[in-house]
Order: sequence, then C-alpha cells, then structure tokens
Amino acid sequence: MKPAPFRYEAARSLSGALELLAGDQDARALAGGQSLVPMLNFRLAWPELIVDLNPLAELAHLDASGGDLRIGALTRQATLQRSDVVAAGWPLLIQAVAHVGHAAIRTRGTVGGSVAHADPAAELPVALTALDARFHLRSRDGARSLSAGELFQGALTTALEPGELLVEIEVPASPPAARTAFLEHARTHGDFAVAGVAVILAPGEHAAIALLGADAVPVRAAAAEQALLNGAGPGEAARLAAAGIADDYRRALLTTLSERALDQVMA
Amino acid sequence: MTRSELIGAPLPRREDARVLRGETRYVDDVVVPGMAHAAFVRSPHAHAGITSISVPQDAEGLIAVVTAADIGAAVRAFPVMEPDDMEVNHAEAHPVLAAGEVRYAGQPVAAVIARTRALAEDAAELVDVQYDERPAVLAPRESGVVLTRWSGGAGDVDAAFAAAAHVVSGSYALPRLIAAPMETRGCVAAYEPVDDCLTVWCSAQDIHRPLAQLSHILDRPPAGIRLIVPDVGGAFGSKGVIAPEIAAVAASAMRLGIPVKWTEDRLENLVGGTQGRGIEGDLQLALAADGRMLGLRARLWADLGGYLLTTTPIPPHTAATLITGVYDIAAAAVTVVGALTHKVPTGPYRGAGRPDAAYMVEALVDEAARRTGIHRVELRRRNLIRSFPHRTATGLEYDSGDYERCLDLALELAADGGRARDRDGGDGDVVRGRGIALYVERAGGGWESAEIELGPGGTFAIASSSSPHGQGHDITFAQIAADRLGVPIQDIELHFGDSATSPPGVGTFGSRSVAMAGSAVAIAADDLLAQARARTGAAIVDWQRLAEVAGPDRPRAAARFQSANVFSSGAYVATVRIDCGTGELTVERLIAVDDAGTLINPLLVHGQVIGGAVQALGECLTEEAVYDDGGQPRTGSFLDYSLLTAAEVPPIVTGEVQTPSPFNPLGAKGAGEGGAVGTLPAVANAVTDALGGRRVEPPFTSDKLWRALHDDPRGDGR
Amino acid sequence: MTVRIEINGRVYEDEVEPRTLLSDFIRHQAGLTGTHVGCEHGVCGACTVQLDGEPMRSCLMLAVQADGRSLRTVEDLAGPGGELSALQQAFTEHHALQCGFCTAGFLMTADALLRRRRVEPIGEAEIREELAGNLCRCTGYEGIVAAVRAAAAEY
Repeated sequence: MKPAPFRYEAARSLSGALELLAGDQDARALAGGQSLVPMLNFRLAWPELIVDLNPLAELAHLDASGGDLRIGALTRQATLQRSDVVAAGWPLLIQAVAHVGHAAIRTRGTVGGSVAHADPAAELPVALTALDARFHLRSRDGARSLSAGELFQGALTTALEPGELLVEIEVPASPPAARTAFLEHARTHGDFAVAGVAVILAPGEHAAIALLGADAVPVRAAAAEQALLNGAGPGEAARLAAAGIADDYRRALLTTLSERALDQVMA
Repeated sequence: MTRSELIGAPLPRREDARVLRGETRYVDDVVVPGMAHAAFVRSPHAHAGITSISVPQDAEGLIAVVTAADIGAAVRAFPVMEPDDMEVNHAEAHPVLAAGEVRYAGQPVAAVIARTRALAEDAAELVDVQYDERPAVLAPRESGVVLTRWSGGAGDVDAAFAAAAHVVSGSYALPRLIAAPMETRGCVAAYEPVDDCLTVWCSAQDIHRPLAQLSHILDRPPAGIRLIVPDVGGAFGSKGVIAPEIAAVAASAMRLGIPVKWTEDRLENLVGGTQGRGIEGDLQLALAADGRMLGLRARLWADLGGYLLTTTPIPPHTAATLITGVYDIAAAAVTVVGALTHKVPTGPYRGAGRPDAAYMVEALVDEAARRTGIHRVELRRRNLIRSFPHRTATGLEYDSGDYERCLDLALELAADGGRARDRDGGDGDVVRGRGIALYVERAGGGWESAEIELGPGGTFAIASSSSPHGQGHDITFAQIAADRLGVPIQDIELHFGDSATSPPGVGTFGSRSVAMAGSAVAIAADDLLAQARARTGAAIVDWQRLAEVAGPDRPRAAARFQSANVFSSGAYVATVRIDCGTGELTVERLIAVDDAGTLINPLLVHGQVIGGAVQALGECLTEEAVYDDGGQPRTGSFLDYSLLTAAEVPPIVTGEVQTPSPFNPLGAKGAGEGGAVGTLPAVANAVTDALGGRRVEPPFTSDKLWRALHDDPRGDGR
Repeated sequence: MTVRIEINGRVYEDEVEPRTLLSDFIRHQAGLTGTHVGCEHGVCGACTVQLDGEPMRSCLMLAVQADGRSLRTVEDLAGPGGELSALQQAFTEHHALQCGFCTAGFLMTADALLRRRRVEPIGEAEIREELAGNLCRCTGYEGIVAAVRAAAAEY
C-alpha cells in the first residue's frame, strides 16, 4: 500500500511550520508518524503537503523544574517512559504509556501526536484527562489553551483548527499522597484498548477517574470521584463511574476495570 | 538396516544461517531488468454487474490497464479439484479478471501495470468502473446455489437411531479465518519470446500446482512455463492455489512483452486471500445405554464464497470424511453442501477441514457425556477404534494408531493441571474449565519423487519434488539420505523449487512431505547405495574413490513414491479460566500429545506442533474474518484481524506417541497440522466446561463469554 | 529529492520521492533485502530496524526523514566473515525460525532489548512482553523466547 503523492517540507522553525500549515488547507503535520503514515499508506488520508515537525527540537522538551510537568508535543513516548522525573511525579503517565503499542512504536511516536490524533482507544489522552492536563495550541495568528474536555471532541476529532498545532501539554503536580493506576482490556498485548481506566487517588484530598471506551472521547467520572471523596468504596465508586453506559457488557467491563483500579490504589 | 543417530535427531537447521544473515530471496526481492509493477482495480461491491470500464488515457508511469476483455481469449477460468466422489460445479470456477460480474468485495477487475507500484496504485484510482449493485447472499444455508456436494456413509443409520437409548444433537459453526502468513502472495512473470518460455517466480507452497494451474489457465503446455519458488514466508494452505492476480500478471507479461511483478500488500491479503474454515454443521449421535456409539448423522454447510478456486472444494470434503473421528461408529450418514456466498472464496488453511471435524465431533461427544452421565473420558474409551487398519463409515482407511495411549499420556501430563468448574470469589471472580479432545487426521497420500546423484567430489546432490516454506525440508531430507547412505550429513546437498530442474510431484500441503517426499529420498538413496555396492563390490562404499573412478558416469538414482493416506492422531487437554468481570478467556495450560509416526527431527516436529497450536489459539481467542451486512470485509488490517503475540501464548506441554505407518519406508505420518487440529476442540470443550455446559462458537471473545455467563447465571442453559 | 542515509556504517545516496517509505529505500534502493515488509501499518514488526540503537518500524518513516540519520539492519549482526552473532546462534539452536520472514525484525528488536537490558537479568514474561510487537505466524514464539533468553547471558 503506497501513499498518494504529496509535497514534503521539513520545518525549520515553529513559526515556519505554522506558516506552512496556515497557508495550505490540505497540509498535515507529521510528528512520530505512527498514526499518520499508516493512514497515508492505506490512502485513508491524502494530503497535498506534509510538514515534518521532527526537526523542531524546541518542541521536544520534558521539564518539571517549575513544579508542573511540561511535555513538549514532540516528546517521544519512549522518552516519557524512561523519565525519572515523570516516574517520580506523574507515575500515571508511566503506567499508561507502557500500554501504548510496542517499543518500536514508542521509539518514534510522540505524546503530542497521540493526543492530536485522538483515537478513542488511545491511552495517553485518557491519562492526561485524569491528570487535568492543559493543552497549549499555537497557530500563525495566535495561541490558546484548552482543557481535555475542550480539546477532545469525538473519535479522531479535536478542537484543533486547520493550521493549529498542539505544542505543549502542561500537567499540574499531583498531591504527594496520590496513588495511581491504569488498567485496560485489549484483545492482545499492545493492541488498542477496548476499555480502560485511569485513576488517581489521594484519600480525602483528590480523586480522578477517567474512562477509555465509555464514549468516543475520554470521560471523567465526576459523580464517582465525588463519591470517593465522600468515603465510598471501590465497588460503589466503580458502579457510579460506569453507570451511564448503555451497553450491558461495556458497562460491566468498565465497572470491573474501575473497581480493580481503585482496589489497587486503595490497597 | 540399523537406525543411525540421524533419524530422531533434533538437529538445528543448517539452512538457518543464510536466513539469519538476511541473505534470503523472497519473491519481492526478485528483480528482473525492465520489470514493471502491477496494482489492481477491485470491486467495492459484494455482488454487482459491471456495466462499463473506462481506463485513463494517460497517467504518469502507466504502461497498460488490462481487463478481462483484453485477455479473455487467452485465458481460461481456474481448474477446480474434485475430491473423491464430490460433485463440483466447474462452471462456477473463478475467472482470472472479472467479466461482466463481481461476486465479492475485493475481486480483481483490472490489472494496472506501471513503472512503480506507487504509480500503478495512482493510475488504478483513475480507472472508472460502473456497477449495478445486486443483493448479496452471505449465509450458506440461505444461498440456494450449490457449488459442491458430497454424501457418504455406511451401515443402517436409521436402525441405529431407532435402537438408541440416547440421541444427542448439536449445531456448530466455525467462522472464516485468514491465513495471514507474514509474507503475502506475489510473483514476477517474465516472457521470453525467443524460446517461448514464460518464467514465473511465485511465492507458493510448491512448484507443481502453480505450474499446472497456470498451464491450464493460459492454455500453455507445462514445458513452456518455468515455475520457480524462491524463499517463501509461510503459507498455511493459502498459497496452494495461485491468486487470480498472479494469473492476470502472467497473462499481462506475455501480452505486453515486459516482466511484471505483483507483490500483494497486507490489505489485499486480508481481504482477497482465500480464507479458511467457514463451515456449519448439524450433527446427531445415537448411543446405546452403555454409551456405545451406534450411529452418526451429519449435515454440513460450507460458506465457499463467490467462485471455486482450485483448492476450494477440499476442506469441507475432508471435514465430512473425518467426522466420525477416532470412534468406532459403524453407521453414519454424512452430507456436505458447499454454497455460493458473496465473499472471497475459501480454501485450505492449517488443518483444512480436520479441525472442523474434530471440533464438531468432540463437542458432540462431550455433550453425550453430559447427557448419559458417563464421564467424558470413559465414554471416549468405550468407543475408541482399537484395531487397524480401520475402515470408517465415511470411506477412509486409517492405517495405524493407538488412540488410547495418546489419551493416557495426555491425561498423565495434565494430571497436575487445573480442575473442572471452579467458581471462586474474592480475588478475581473466575470460572475454570477443562477440555479434552482426541483427533485423527488424514496425512500423506499421493506421490512425490527424488533424484540423487553422486557428485565429482564424492558428495551428493538430491533434487526433491517437494519444496519447503518453513518446514525444514533441507535438514530433514539430508538426515534421511545421510542415514540411508551412511555418510556425514554435510555431504548431502538438497535442491528444490525450480520446475526446470526439480523432478515432478504433487505439492507441499496436508502434512505429507516427510511421508511422501522424504520416502522418495530414502528410496532413491537406497537405490544409489545398491548401485554403488554393485559397482564397487563392497558393502561399505568409498564414495570419493567411486566418484573419481566413475568419471562422468557417476551413479544416479531416481525414485517415485506413492501411497495411500496415512493417519496422524493425538489427544489434547486444555485448562482455561474465564474472568467473570471482563469475560476474558485465559488458556492456562495446553497439553498436546501427537502421534505422527516415526519422527525424523523432533526439534522441527515440536516447532510444527507449537506453531499449529498457537494458530489454533488465535482461532479460539481473537480471529474471525468479519463481513458486515452488505458483504463488506471489516478485517482489512492487523488492527482489525488480531493475531496472537508472544505475550498471549500459554505454557504448552507436548508429548509424543509414535505408531509407525506401515505405508512408507520411514514409518512417517504427518506432523504439520496436528497442533492446529487438536487445540481447537480441546479449548472449545474447556470453555463449554467452564460455562457449565453452555456452548459458544469461536472466537471466544470477552464479550461473548461475559454474556454467556450473565445471560444465564446458573450456566446450565443452552 | 536526494537523501543520504547511513546504513550499517555505509552511506547510501539516492533520489527519492517524498512518499518513498524508508522500508522501500532500504530494500530496493540500498539493496538490503534482509529487512522485510509484512503490513505497512506498523503492526507486524517485520520491517523493524534500529535507529540510533532503538527499534523502529521502517515502514512508518519516510525515506526523506532518514536523511543524515544512521540505521542498522539485520545485515549488520553477523561478523565480517559471516560468523553468526550469539543472538543469531541462539536462534538456530532453539529453532526460533521456520519460514524466516519475521526473523530479521525479531533479531533487531531482541538485539536492542538485550543491549539496553545488559545489567539486570530478564525473565520470560518480560521477554514475551517486549517481543509482543513482532508477529510470527509459524513458530508460536516458543523458540524465539527461548533463544532470546539464552542469548541474554551473552550481552
């Protein structure tokens, strides 16, 4: 399966990349390529122009010096996985990224790419949703920041406008007492998740539950989070988290996964 | 003749070194100067008439667009095999390119030849085909169009059922599967007018069948085609018939006078490659009060697809003839109907009808155990065939076997495994089950040949009619020849895979290569040794001296070996657990006992058993070729058709029983498919056990199992 | 456009289209056919090569992106006289290949894994997880896992 023809430009600067993307309605940004290139190969996408962001070292930072974690959009998933800083302060990301494809995918795949692609079965969008991440976007004409709820709009659909790039993901620090878990159910190891859950819990202080597979976008289970803070146990919170899901099996699956994840962080 | 250290020696394959260094040559590595590349325009509809085809006047790199109209007079439709006594509707043979009608989504309509594959795909998008859509039939029982039919049986079945204390019924369905070898199909075709020779490099299981198929399709004598099988990256039955695209490429190469390469891409392979299984059955078993099986009725429906390819009729026929399994059932009536459906044609895939039969009969026997109250192992023991040769009610003659020994060994190996039905609360609510299955399968048969000659240096060159695609023919046949000749194995060189130099044969499929081609090698070697002994007058031959002395008149021998089918068998035990919260199935342990007769190289046999078993585990856990209601294939990528990885494979414990076959000098049977045949019914029976007797069809996906557990919480519904 | 890509220590320079996949460049333009193509969507792993020592799907990178970069393919594993490396030797001893089509991808994945994991011993479960990104349809993986386990001692 060979791609349809396209022009290629390697970005020399962020502003240069934004200029190229603004100028051509039929341009696509290329980051890790692990999602875009298969689509090109299957001819499910046939852009006129590919703007290669990989030369932009300025987008590949991974920095927690300011207390929050700042992930440059071009940070490789493998880099995230191996970061001691992330492991210390944001272990949920380490837990989630281990489920992203396989080592060879993570060598090239980027955190920003996974987020911008917004596959409903992807792990990083769910983990970042649980972490209350903020997503910083740039276009030729300006900048804006969105929450996860604002960014993820549907299957493979985000609020990114044509010509707009995700440049950085900002993840606030979690309470020191927080424990995290990420569980998913997939057909085979490394396969896209059928369902999953990301959980952060600092008892009495902070609770976050984000569901993968409840909808076409990551979903925060607000009622369940509140119940946990009010002292609910794993079973009750899990039932609340999945309550709105119509399909019996999917609801049971997410209830089970949520309960097991909560068991882990409350053990 | 005493057995040397070579027969039964688990020698590593000497042919591995060049593979490990990346020095192989698969068909996509073949380069012919001036070669062009093919892509295909394919039907988007499951069933439609073609009203018009317009081709672009020009496109970058485009050489030609070839349709049925262009090659119509030069090609015939595919030849179709006729298994014994099976009615086959040859009129529905697959055409090379669609002419007037398409019967499955993905069917090739036009070949687009261009300078590069990418340019060919670009040009293919510019070909405009107009269709009038027609209704698509997807279920074989609803088809109404019969492509193949077979009935068989013996004994008074009505009397058996009338006399029965118990009659047990079951309905079964196996979905279609995709072979998905890591190397897709492909060819390079080059025509040389000077000597009127068409050369085709083909990723295929053997040279003989592609050669015969092309010869028939192109209406060209076999001598006018040179068929070369280079390194091949797996097949599992799916390369036993050439793809229609290969015939189209060969015809195009001749028509255009340019060499043409077609490398199937993975989308084409998952959508357009022949699929396996796709069979349903209604079975009934009549038993006496003591559990003796008196009679079996079976009606099978095969989902054959839109046309017959050469090998399409075979698997359902095999399933029908093996339906009585390892049991001594005197009366049986079996029919199988192969129906037309608007999907890609089916064909042999690892097991090719054998797993289908084992799945159905072994599930039915377990059901009989539940009904009669006789333990499932005991019920089997009471009915095993114990004397050989044994002629089945379906007309097969089993040569030898010891089914009870397989069963006993499997149970012994399983002794410290899981327990039946165990619902434990607390940490992970799970149910467990254990399943047992016995199988017998048809192997060997037909004929193969070998030629051996003494080389100038006192070493040996053997040309075998059989060619490998991963099985290890080189080391295995070298072991056989070295053993027969009493020489070091490094003195034996094997050659395969070129119709210009290989002796004639039948093909590599159906677990037959050691029994048939290996025996031909053995006989040829024996003949050579006899000649050499006669010439030298010595029992122990100095081969180097003989070669020097003989000059150009060095001894050579040829052998053609033919025999009836031989029958491998085995007993498998699976323990499984199902997570009640997610429905997830985990196979905890698999015991695999196989009887493949004499084993030449146990290291390779073990690899075949594990490989086959893991394919069957895929069939149990994830694999299914899916079509939507409109006949559109939904499993066109590896993200949709999910293959098992190393992380999903459970511990597999193997054991061997060896009951030699009396039908060949090696005593060999077939080891290539047992893993795929025994694993499916064992795991299926274990799942049914875990569900308390409720059956679901494979693949045993989480959602199916969860619903089975929760729709019927007591687990004893049906 | 012209690219210069270093593969196994040698620089290959040639013209490519933007859409030329790295896997096709390696195989058809550099002539290194030991790397195979099984799916062109990053799942099967047959095309795995090493980029700066890390395993990577060559079917998911454009050749132009590899301009000026350094790759390693299966042809680089054996010694100068063709001597099999410890990992390759383990593969044949443990019958880790049948048709051989997936083998190069497994070798490059396993080699990268074992070099990174030099210090701590690696157990079977972890090996299976790390190899789960490479599909094999022939062997059922048992021989491959055994080979990687055996070779780990040599890294």
